[in-house]
Amino acid sequence: MSAALILLAYAALLAFAAPRLLARGGWTARAPRLGIIAWQAAAVSLLVSAVLAGLALVVPTVQVSADLANLFRACVMALRDQYATPGGAAAAAVGAVLALAVLARAAWCVAASLAGALRSRARHHGVLTMVGTPSVHLGAVVVDSDEPAVYCLPGRRRRIVVTTAALRLLDDQQLAAALAHERAHLDQRHDLVLAWSGGLARAFPRIRLFTRAHAETLRLVELLADDVAARSADRITLAEALLNLAGARTPAAALGAGGSTAAERVRRLIVPHHPLGRLRTALTFTGVAALLALPIIGLATPIATAAHLHYCPPSAVSAAAATR
Amino acid sequence: MPHFGDLEAAIMDAVWSTGEPVCVRDVLERLDREPEPAYTTVQTVMDILYRKGWMTRVKRGRVNVYEAAASREDYVAGLMNEALAVADDRAAMLVKFVEGMEPGESAALRELLNAAKTQGSAR
Repeated sequence: MSAALILLAYAALLAFAAPRLLARGGWTARAPRLGIIAWQAAAVSLLVSAVLAGLALVVPTVQVSADLANLFRACVMALRDQYATPGGAAAAAVGAVLALAVLARAAWCVAASLAGALRSRARHHGVLTMVGTPSVHLGAVVVDSDEPAVYCLPGRRRRIVVTTAALRLLDDQQLAAALAHERAHLDQRHDLVLAWSGGLARAFPRIRLFTRAHAETLRLVELLADDVAARSADRITLAEALLNLAGARTPAAALGAGGSTAAERVRRLIVPHHPLGRLRTALTFTGVAALLALPIIGLATPIATAAHLHYCPPSAVSAAAATR
Repeated sequence: MPHFGDLEAAIMDAVWSTGEPVCVRDVLERLDREPEPAYTTVQTVMDILYRKGWMTRVKRGRVNVYEAAASREDYVAGLMNEALAVADDRAAMLVKFVEGMEPGESAALRELLNAAKTQGSAR
């Protein structure tokens, strides 16, 4: 019971504090990859602690033993004790529902978001094959259209698409920079991270940590792809490519308070780039490790204390087993 | 089943560029491919395209006459709609290079960019 309470308290604290802590100071723009990892680690930590809290209610704390057979017998006895009381059985039922519901909902929505992406991508590929002209020289498919656009379809049949209007707006170097940006998305499989975070955000739309994690991941994969593209292209050239393409279209959706991601990206490419320092990087990595380890520790601590209590010694267990 | 992707695209190209109902023979004449595909192959692929909904088919006398179900521009417009309007919750499907920008925003950034460029060349 105590393990479940600790885990639930931790989950609540995380859901409340993590979005605020991670968004502070804008450090993620200086280390987009680390930012993605940190947001995802917080989301995973919340998910795992909720599931473990449910499990902790189902399976009462048992003595830790090096001997697996003993552990199993202790487990059976503790289970019998818990289920003998109505309160214990109710708690176990609540726990089972919590753990199963959270897991099933997350798995369902992530799978649906992957399947949906695959389906619409396959349809898009089909039309593209008919109307597009592959250009070996660009490593992209050219589509004759007045809409300036550059985009990529990730996956096994990865393709980059460029419209003729975009070709007219970009000079050769700007085009190379834009293509390098898209290749970074494809090489690093950003679509998988987005399918995962998007699935979680859709599974639990009321939990701000999940929706923020998805929004931030959407933003940070763009910054990350910019950084990768800037290794082969000049940052100013990339900024110009962004501006030429973005300036030709007005945004489809209303902007948030912080302005568009496109504007942030251009500004970030113009001013000199300061990656996050070694110390702060190391500290953040420690934080990420803590996020991933804490739910496990939360579950393990009561187990460890129970081991000292010896309320359920192996001899008693074997005696109980013998009397049955 | 053999893969006709390439030939499908070439045949649709031929049908679109004619802009009027065609029979298999017409398409065969317009196809500029080496080696030239067999009549039956083209017929098979056109039947596949008909079944996939790319073309309509009517019987005129003893000949099947085909026509594109929609213009190439319609299909391109569909692609662009999908590509440019993809919402955040479907970002896993395709990833755009950049979203649009408000005119005021882009004008301000253009100034910033030009300043950075002149500064860079002065150095």
